[in-house]
Amino acid sequence: MSADTRRPLRPTRQVATQFHVVAIPAAIALAAVGAIAAEHVHLPWIVGAAGGAIAALLTVLALPSLPTRRATIVLLGIGGLGALRHASFAGNDRSWLLVVWAAATLVTLVLVDRADAETSPALAGGAPLPSRTYETLRVSAIVALVVAVAAVALVPTVTARLGRHVWPGLVPNIGNIMNAPTSLRASNHLDLTTRPELTDAVVFTVDASHADFWRGETYDVYNGSSWTRSAGSDEPTVLDRDGNTVTVLPAPNDVGAANGTDFRQTFHIETAYSGVVFAAPSPHTVETDKTIEELPDGTVRAATNDQFGDGIGFGKGAVYTVVSRSMQPTEASLRAADAQPVPAAIRQQYADPAGASPQVQQLAKAITAGRPTTFDKIKAIEAWMGEHTQYSLNAPTSSSTDVVTDFLFHTKLGWCEQIASSLVLLARSAGIPARLVTGFAPGSADALTGRFVVREKDAHAWAEVFFPGIGWQGFDPTASVPLAGDAHSNGSWLETARHHAVAFAVVIALLALLIGATPELRAAARRRRARRASWSASTLHRLERIGRKAGRARAPAETPREYARALAERLRDDRLVTVGEALDRDAYSSGGAPHDDRAAAEAVLTSL
Amino acid sequence: MTDPADARGPGAVLRPAPGTATATAPHPGPGDLTLTSIVLFTLGAYGVAAGAATGQEAVVAVGVFAFTLFLVGLVWPIMTIARIDVAVVAPTDSRVGEKVDLRVTVTGRAARIDLRVLDPAGDWWRTASPAEGVVPHVAMRRGVFHYVRVQLRSSAPLGVFVRTRTIRVRLPAPITVAPRPAAAAPVLESVPDDHRALGAPLLVRGGTDAVRAVRPYVSGDPARLVHWPTSARRGELVVREYEPPPALGVALLVDLRGPRPEAIASRAAGIGVATLKAGGIVWCGTCDDAGPAGEIVSDERELGRQLARAIAGPMPEPPPGWFVEVVHL
Repeated sequence: MSADTRRPLRPTRQVATQFHVVAIPAAIALAAVGAIAAEHVHLPWIVGAAGGAIAALLTVLALPSLPTRRATIVLLGIGGLGALRHASFAGNDRSWLLVVWAAATLVTLVLVDRADAETSPALAGGAPLPSRTYETLRVSAIVALVVAVAAVALVPTVTARLGRHVWPGLVPNIGNIMNAPTSLRASNHLDLTTRPELTDAVVFTVDASHADFWRGETYDVYNGSSWTRSAGSDEPTVLDRDGNTVTVLPAPNDVGAANGTDFRQTFHIETAYSGVVFAAPSPHTVETDKTIEELPDGTVRAATNDQFGDGIGFGKGAVYTVVSRSMQPTEASLRAADAQPVPAAIRQQYADPAGASPQVQQLAKAITAGRPTTFDKIKAIEAWMGEHTQYSLNAPTSSSTDVVTDFLFHTKLGWCEQIASSLVLLARSAGIPARLVTGFAPGSADALTGRFVVREKDAHAWAEVFFPGIGWQGFDPTASVPLAGDAHSNGSWLETARHHAVAFAVVIALLALLIGATPELRAAARRRRARRASWSASTLHRLERIGRKAGRARAPAETPREYARALAERLRDDRLVTVGEALDRDAYSSGGAPHDDRAAAEAVLTSL
Repeated sequence: MTDPADARGPGAVLRPAPGTATATAPHPGPGDLTLTSIVLFTLGAYGVAAGAATGQEAVVAVGVFAFTLFLVGLVWPIMTIARIDVAVVAPTDSRVGEKVDLRVTVTGRAARIDLRVLDPAGDWWRTASPAEGVVPHVAMRRGVFHYVRVQLRSSAPLGVFVRTRTIRVRLPAPITVAPRPAAAAPVLESVPDDHRALGAPLLVRGGTDAVRAVRPYVSGDPARLVHWPTSARRGELVVREYEPPPALGVALLVDLRGPRPEAIASRAAGIGVATLKAGGIVWCGTCDDAGPAGEIVSDERELGRQLARAIAGPMPEPPPGWFVEVVHL
């Protein structure tokens, strides 16, 4: 290679110090997105947060092959796509993390642009830039105001005009159906001996004005280990539709379902398959593109065959809207309901204590003795169960022929299905019409959207009791039953450790990183202290900082005097030469630089 | 590239000389969208579209947030730069290749802007506004300049859009950029005596021994000039007056009609400066906007100013009796 074509050596690129501060908000932004993403894929949120933060720190601080500004913007773009991705599909109740992401992104943008601007030399004699904090706060306040106005003005418009109250969603395949949790599959049979697996996976979200239990199916026949429907109650009727609106026939004698107050809810399916139309009791109309069928007990579900060609249930992304009707009774009105007779058909189907063992029947009589009304009897049963039983997902599965008897008299530990079944049988033994209901608890309200986020772990069972003139009213005995001490664990520390293995691993890795970095951190602290102790060292540090801002870092072999001369030429400020001379004098003469020289040098550096 | 002649009228601005490398070309448009803008626009479009399709407020909110940042980042620098005004004061004289300190006054409120002087494009300097500071600039070509072009830039606060605006600032007093003198020897030839009375410097080196007359001593006369015999005869001090030295100098005819006018001007400046430094008289003949012009220049600054004004055109008649040096290619 000839001398003419030889490329000059370039110093290794370093991240300018102005960009260091950018790393903090960038790490927060990515940590927020990482936390959302981790939850979406069922990992501990700390894993995602740590991963996002570490990725951001490495990108901003330790990626010299890319311009820092560009790398940071690309990073924010990836974070933004992640935020959109998980806001769109996760449907979880972590939307407040999106606010964190947005705020951190805004601060990052301000600081990265500011850092980029600071790489230009300052105009000699010009006005200094406002402080980073002031600029960031000012811009953040203004942008937050504009964003708030825009969001308030645009979001309802966009979602109201283009948002869907009915949407077909994906068509579930056979794999989706087979792998769906039992709580989402329409069934005529509920097994009480199978322990439910309750994960954090989001099942659906609900737009509704208030929380309610999202009812799915009801059962009336108990055979000791499971619930089924009585003959004739399991024969569905395909409901007529007017466009996308399907009118549900109110169950016989359910006054609330026919004449109650309207309550509108829109369900967004987030799981791969749901065969049941979940809704607050009792559905009156359903807006959906699916064919809907109804059982005589009021259970509403997607048609179980595909004769209409619109699928066999709700897939991911499907949206349907339900208007429910129910009475809003008070305790007084419930007590007063006993004044009317229970219809014979209801009594015959739902008040027959045949499924209850003699022990259960005797217990019911003992609990309800002296209670004048149906409502009081139910409350007495709930109170007794609260005192004598405990909730536990780790309760032993019953091997006896009667799950309820085993629960009430032996283990006294059970989950919602066993607890609710007990209430139903105790009520029936007291002559009260009752039935078992499965569905989902209200879920948690999303802080940003107000939507109720319902997860697999919200799957629930409760009881409905019939009140003449009012209709079916839900009672949740599980709420009265205290948690057992091992509700979240089987007591094995090994199991606990395994459950939180990933989180433990991240914590240990961070600790190891911290311990490994300790010598370097201590050395940096020593260097800082040394700089503070020596005037020449601290002043040289200031000079180097000014030089770096001007885009001229000190070469390793460059003396302070040489460096100051180079900076004086670059910044066109001859005063810097005297700074270099003062530095050399202070470092190498026995008495150090005179006080006046030091003061003059500091004044020069301060003016820059 | 602008014709060189364009650079010397009353409306001329500083422009780089032909063949002069510039740091960066002045920006032709109103500004540049950055990578940030692409990212935010993409996020906004995707968010609003996806959110609208599914009716999910959270997604629409993220999209609206990104769009708002995009719009704020677009409008903010435009508004910032629009309300900035600049005034520049330059020294009246300079030479090609010399640093000129331009005192720049920026008015209008802005937290963060960059500015630079064009023709040729210099370095960017950051400042808040209002501010007053000094921008060093190098004059790259000869001429009389009434305007300076200043470019403003801002991407604050979000770095979405780099708004640039070029302002043509009229100088309160024009700056005259003289040619850089080329190395040359002085030309010292006889000049007619009548030109001594024009105030031109006389050649003080050497002189003659011929005594022209004597006159009474006045305070300040050197003692060595006292003519003692006559003083003794008259009873008062008298001093000798010598014949003045002969005037030397040159008449420069600077003809810029050749292919390299800047080189000619530079060579003329070199000869003129060397002659003036040697104590000679310089008559400089050029052609400027008003036509042929020639006069005796008293110092380097006057010579530089005349050469700065010079354009290609007909030459004036040199004064009679002068040694004429025609500078041309």
